[in-house]
Amino acid sequence: MHEAVSVGAPAGERPRGSATGDPVTLEIIRGAIGAAQSEMEALIERTAISAFIREKKDFYTGLFDADGVMAVGSMVPVFGDMTGPVLARFPAASMRPGDVYWYNDCYGSRGAVSHSNDQVLIAPVFCDGARVAFVMAWAHFADIGGLRPGSISPDATDIMHEGIIVPPTRLIDAGATNEAALAIFHRNSRYPQQSLGDMKALMASVELGVRRVEEIVRRFGVSTFGDALARLLARTRGVVRQRLAATFDYGTHRFTDAIDSDGHGAGPFKLRLALTRTRQANGEDRFVFDATQTDDQSFGPVNFLMNPGVPGMALGLYYLGGDPAQVCNAGGPQALDEVLLREGSLLWPRFPAPLGMRGLTMMRVLAALNGLVNVAGGGAPAAHSAYVITIMRGVFRTAQGALQPFLLADGIGVGYGARPFADGIDAVYFVAQENYPVEFLEQGYPVRLREYAVAIDSGGPGRRRGGCGIVREYEILAEEALLAIRIDSVKNPPWGIAGGLCGGVGSATVNPGAPDERRLPPLSDGHKLRHGDILRIVTGGGGGHGHPFDRPPDEVLEDVRGGFVSLEAARRDYGVAIVDDALDPAGTAALRRVRPAAKAFHRGSYVDELL
Amino acid sequence: MSTNSSEAALTVAVDIGGTFTDVALRDDASGRVWRAKTPSVPSDPSQAFLAGVELALRAAGREAAALGRVLHGTTVATNMILENKGAAAALITTAGFRHVLTIGRQDIPRRANLYAWVKPPRPVPASRVFEVRERVAAGGAVLTPLDEASVRAAAARCRALGVSAVAVCLLHAYANPSHERRTAEILAQELPGVAVTASSDVLPVVREFERSLATALNAVVTPGVATYIARLEQRLADLKVDAPLLLMQSNGGVAGAARIREAAITTALSGPAAGVVGAREAAAECGVDNLITVDIGGTSADICLIEKGRIGLTQSGHVGGWPLPLPMLDMVTIGAGGGSIARLRDGALVVGPESAGADPGPACYGRGGALSTVTDAHVVLGHLPASLLGGRMRLDAEASRRVVEETIARPLGLSVEAAAQGVLAIVDNNMMGALRVVSVERGRNPADFTLTPFGGAGPLHGCALARLLGVSRVLIPVAPGVLCADGLLAADIKAEFARTLAQADVVDMGAAHAIFAELEAKAEAWLEAERIPAARRSFARAALMRYRGQGGEVATPWRDEAAALESAFETQHRGLYGFTLDAPIECVTLRVEAVGAVGAPPRQTAPRGAGARPAATHPMFVEGRRIAAPVYDRATLGAGDRFTGPAIVTQLDATTLVHAGWRAEVMANGALLLVDESSAEGMRA
Repeated sequence: MHEAVSVGAPAGERPRGSATGDPVTLEIIRGAIGAAQSEMEALIERTAISAFIREKKDFYTGLFDADGVMAVGSMVPVFGDMTGPVLARFPAASMRPGDVYWYNDCYGSRGAVSHSNDQVLIAPVFCDGARVAFVMAWAHFADIGGLRPGSISPDATDIMHEGIIVPPTRLIDAGATNEAALAIFHRNSRYPQQSLGDMKALMASVELGVRRVEEIVRRFGVSTFGDALARLLARTRGVVRQRLAATFDYGTHRFTDAIDSDGHGAGPFKLRLALTRTRQANGEDRFVFDATQTDDQSFGPVNFLMNPGVPGMALGLYYLGGDPAQVCNAGGPQALDEVLLREGSLLWPRFPAPLGMRGLTMMRVLAALNGLVNVAGGGAPAAHSAYVITIMRGVFRTAQGALQPFLLADGIGVGYGARPFADGIDAVYFVAQENYPVEFLEQGYPVRLREYAVAIDSGGPGRRRGGCGIVREYEILAEEALLAIRIDSVKNPPWGIAGGLCGGVGSATVNPGAPDERRLPPLSDGHKLRHGDILRIVTGGGGGHGHPFDRPPDEVLEDVRGGFVSLEAARRDYGVAIVDDALDPAGTAALRRVRPAAKAFHRGSYVDELL
Repeated sequence: MSTNSSEAALTVAVDIGGTFTDVALRDDASGRVWRAKTPSVPSDPSQAFLAGVELALRAAGREAAALGRVLHGTTVATNMILENKGAAAALITTAGFRHVLTIGRQDIPRRANLYAWVKPPRPVPASRVFEVRERVAAGGAVLTPLDEASVRAAAARCRALGVSAVAVCLLHAYANPSHERRTAEILAQELPGVAVTASSDVLPVVREFERSLATALNAVVTPGVATYIARLEQRLADLKVDAPLLLMQSNGGVAGAARIREAAITTALSGPAAGVVGAREAAAECGVDNLITVDIGGTSADICLIEKGRIGLTQSGHVGGWPLPLPMLDMVTIGAGGGSIARLRDGALVVGPESAGADPGPACYGRGGALSTVTDAHVVLGHLPASLLGGRMRLDAEASRRVVEETIARPLGLSVEAAAQGVLAIVDNNMMGALRVVSVERGRNPADFTLTPFGGAGPLHGCALARLLGVSRVLIPVAPGVLCADGLLAADIKAEFARTLAQADVVDMGAAHAIFAELEAKAEAWLEAERIPAARRSFARAALMRYRGQGGEVATPWRDEAAALESAFETQHRGLYGFTLDAPIECVTLRVEAVGAVGAPPRQTAPRGAGARPAATHPMFVEGRRIAAPVYDRATLGAGDRFTGPAIVTQLDATTLVHAGWRAEVMANGALLLVDESSAEGMRA
């Protein structure tokens, strides 16, 4: 039986602050909180031990009001209600100064974390005995046990395959650390020293955050501080609702996108999103987000236990845009009056469905939200590819001849969708997450890079070109390794819009061009690699925006010279003729006389609607 | 004044700002300083350079031939990067890695919005990146020998494009630079007149994107900087000056023109460095060696902490959004200055980082500025006199009131004064965030430091910032608006010589000593070339260390015993981050800081004061009402003079605002010390 989960913000949780009040103090407090957040982040980055955190920088921080409502988050749309799971288990009245709480329990936190590798530490801040705020530090831990090194695997079919689960736990009780809980956790990692060092960095970060927020509250006073947080929330909510209303007319708007596969033979899985705007009796608008028509949950680990805060957070980020004065916080989620999800669906799976590869579905949800904005008449980007990961686990021989295990989870960037005002972003992974530099990788891992470059012609052609994906080719120097890969949007490439074409697709090939060449399924695990094998990963691009025949020819020429667009594609897709590294104006004019007729979207071919 | 000074050497320092070029000329025997100011000539900065030097010489009644050293700080490289107006350059890289610059670190920045962010254009576009066949492994071993034909082919393409500079950055060249060196050699042969830069010379550290970027930026600025230096040298030759030209670098020291031509990028972060050195000297003259400097100009504020007279170095600098991991003074820069624009956005009052610049500038400049700036807020509150620059520039106070009223006060329902106070409160708090970064966040208690504001707008904010930070002493140098020229006079000759180990590892004392010996030999050779006598040379060894696995290193002063070195590292780690780890400690980079000290001239003293007398009064808004605040002319104040705030102190190059509750005293060297009367120190006196 399917039941709708209704998760809007009840009236009582509405921001209490008014949009008016002292704007000077508000701006000063906003700046002080931002500084505290930067300091917490710098501490994690400088002191964490695992490459996943300190080089790839998979960590975030946040600040919440006295009731646990996010007042200042990070610029990523993946956060939901982070403090709720802690407050549900530990009543606020039982909390004391010096406490730190910890969890990674996806189902136990209603998707506040959405795969078990992410460890969340939350600490209450007190001032003169009163609880005034919470701070959070969150980071992806490289290995927490489970089926395979790295803890996430396309082979997982149960969340128990994905490592140890920590329910909301009081890690530090008024200054006394629960060393037993930590010892059990670290013992469950294949890399306990990294786990230990990373946890120390995270603990030091929340403790620093507590100290800094205490100082801020002491300076401004409890009520001024609380009022400022409430106003930051109200401001964001107000801006987002106003801009939602400008895009979405009354009625229901729908958009459907899809992920290719769950890695276990099933797929595609459709994500069917709808947003309905109605006018209530009191004259206020009501926005209801509904994803209940999304396909059923998967057997493989692509389920995305989507905290109901996520759609509002993503739409909020889109509507806040690039204005640095705006704050990404719970005002985004609170802008939606209700979020409807269906238990048993891909976006609200039942325990113990596996979740490890949910990043792929999360990225597709973000693209589908762009689609939803666009069908309603807004100007959101075209679709992006889902960022790609390769995970290698194996053994290599050290200079001394001993065999040593290694784990390399390498995130690879993709192309993002083109926008009405700019090309899509070339070759990026996600907000704040960085690559492993070639020289860094080769110093510490048994691989050698043969190529790290932009994937030519992967950006969807358009007046604004979609971002290009990446080529990353490794030579394996390990004795042997077991490889997992996660690539999506191969069967359903990232759509282009307003005449723009879809983005290119990714692939994974072992020993390309050799007699033993193997093309690997895009979402799969268990591939054996041996010393000397070549692994070539190509990632997908973003969709284009606007008709490619409207792109100025000199921009196409520069793309050809820079290795983003091939000569053939310039001719075929853009109608631009280039001869001897120079534009051929007559040839271009001739080509552009035969202009393909566009429709609303493009995925493989022009279509009026994506279904 | 001595009469035989015509035989002693003179040192001249020239600092070129956006509006004015400031010159300080010093008689090294007596220590006497003459100053000159002349309008800058943006189209040819060397014109103002020459005019300023001539003016100063005339003021001193001396001949150009008496000049012993010519010191100069230039922002030519910085501006080329910020304005994207550098030379058309090419980048040569290892086959397969053409798009390292394009990809960057493959991130959308942490504070950016993924829907709105646009990847900035690279200093060298992908269309001008060419690959050569070669490969060096992580440890430095050659996997594929350099294919010289591919280098010549790349040179041919550079020639066809007509580039004026070429950067070379090959994989793992920090561990083995032989391929890079050979590539650069061939390019130099094939491309006469083209500046060739190799990454192993510019920044020999691991991580290909950051190293490629630094090398590309160096290539982009080299032709412009070389042309500029040549023009200056010609101007000096025309004046019959036979003295070395020394330029300020990002590390706070100066270096000869020959070295700057090789590594022009080392000047890119030098803009704020001279002022910090000047502030250190000004404070030292007053016996103050723990200070926090705040240099506030029109668009930005640079903040730096000096402990026991030492200015720290960092390798995490940025220029125009690009990371540039070259040794630079450890300072924080924020987009807050006198020209910062205050505006409402979606109901939020925001100040900066946009600036009205010099043109149109603040509304009170009367050049058509229609937006409220920080300077306008000061004018509304009566913090600035009716005119600046000794009466040459009148301020339009009505224009300030009008824009603050229209753009802020009325929409927010505030009085004009309350709106102006709000603007200042926000900008002061923004700066306080940066002040905390260099102090509290690094384990220092600001109360142990003296705040030293300078720059045209610094002394207006000294008392407010000190109060916010819990600092009770503010020191205003003699010439806060032209401190950069003083800093140039005081700067040592300085360079860092570093070697990143091919593989980070636990410290091997034997190997380390061999590397240090090699680095010190290079450093000696350079100081020899700079004509520094042996007695004035000094070398400081440091190791950049971390726990195995960490991403950030801590610069640790060298110790000859491994245990002592490790314990020094752990002490610093605990101080910075609050914990230590039970993990192996490894060394990443060894570094030698080479210094050629300049002699300290005799110190100047200010004439004894006859008691502070206000020259005028000015209506100032203090605690809700208008009062007639005394205005002191700094030229009439003498050593020992005292007065209390609220007050304004005017001088040619800056205006000092003394808040109510603060006491001012003129020090022996003429500096102004402000003390918070509510502090323990203030109560004592």
